Amino acid sequence: MTVLLTFGELLERHEREIFAYALRLTGDRDDADDVYQDTFLAAFRGWPPPRRGQERAWLYRIATNKVIDRARRAKRLVRVDDLRLAAPERDGVSMADLATAVKVLPEGQRAAFVLRKLQGLEYAEVARALDCSEEAARSRVAEAMKKVKEAMR
Amino acid sequence: MTTLQDGRDEVLALNRLARERLVARARREGLETVGYGVVDSPLGPLWIAVGPRGVLSIHYGGEPSAHELGRIVRAYGPGLLPDARRSDPVARELDQYFAGRRKSFDVAVDLSPLTDFQRRILAATAKVGYGDVTTYARVAAKAGNQKASRAAGAALGANPIPIVIPCHRIVATDGTLGGYAGGLDAKRRLLALEGGTVPPGGWPKKRAT
Repeated sequence: MTVLLTFGELLERHEREIFAYALRLTGDRDDADDVYQDTFLAAFRGWPPPRRGQERAWLYRIATNKVIDRARRAKRLVRVDDLRLAAPERDGVSMADLATAVKVLPEGQRAAFVLRKLQGLEYAEVARALDCSEEAARSRVAEAMKKVKEAMR
Repeated sequence: MTTLQDGRDEVLALNRLARERLVARARREGLETVGYGVVDSPLGPLWIAVGPRGVLSIHYGGEPSAHELGRIVRAYGPGLLPDARRSDPVARELDQYFAGRRKSFDVAVDLSPLTDFQRRILAATAKVGYGDVTTYARVAAKAGNQKASRAAGAALGANPIPIVIPCHRIVATDGTLGGYAGGLDAKRRLLALEGGTVPPGGWPKKRAT
């Protein structure tokens, strides 16, 4: 992968997945818009990326923290219509799974669940994005899956 | 019934709006130093970058080279963002030029990231009018060094702002076309647009005044 020289390259390379991630984590297009903007502005202010080749995990980490910060401030409201946009059926994860995840999971577990099951990150990347060990990332995803299944019974 | 594709298109549309707001915020905060955009032209896509002092780059092809980006980043830092608001005025003038409705450009150009010699060569080139043709040797002479026609050719080959700085109007002393960053076909088409057709093998010597 070539070295990133500019904000524009970072943005154009990763904005679609970060926007989708924000939409899947918040379940609301306006919140997703805010999280996306705050994430990239923070990345521009914090330039350069801390480690070459790990810009993706860096952005996911910033985005996850933005969602957690927002959750502390505001009560979560989920728009079914926006979740429909956010959740194409994938690897056995349905829209209902995602709606449940957004409603019942705490932010950390929800982030792990969305990163692994919908964004398709490897566990090593999930761990970097969430600033935890790979083992912790695995157990967060497993715990999240269990809770989602239970809640849907 | 909404299909999956509709959903994806809608997400992309939301993403585009979010990007516009993001770039506007970055601009307000002074994080954006240079805005760029890609426009279609009769010569294919052109990548246009505009900085605080004017046009920095018009690049043949939809993506700049790493060399081109590096040159801009060294002068203005990493704050390059896709921003049609900055590239649109240039795109409009280029459209008018290609439609034959514009003979000179009003947009400011920024040559500060270049060497002094390159700047002098490009300044001399900028004075060659629409429909006129001159030679590398004459441009070198105007830039203060008659013997530097080869170096003038190199400086023009590295012209970061073709079309607006009309390096296509500079040909070799023997009447052949010389070189062009956008390819010789592009050079022929630009010269043809400005009047006259280019004979096979280049321009006759008498045109190279």
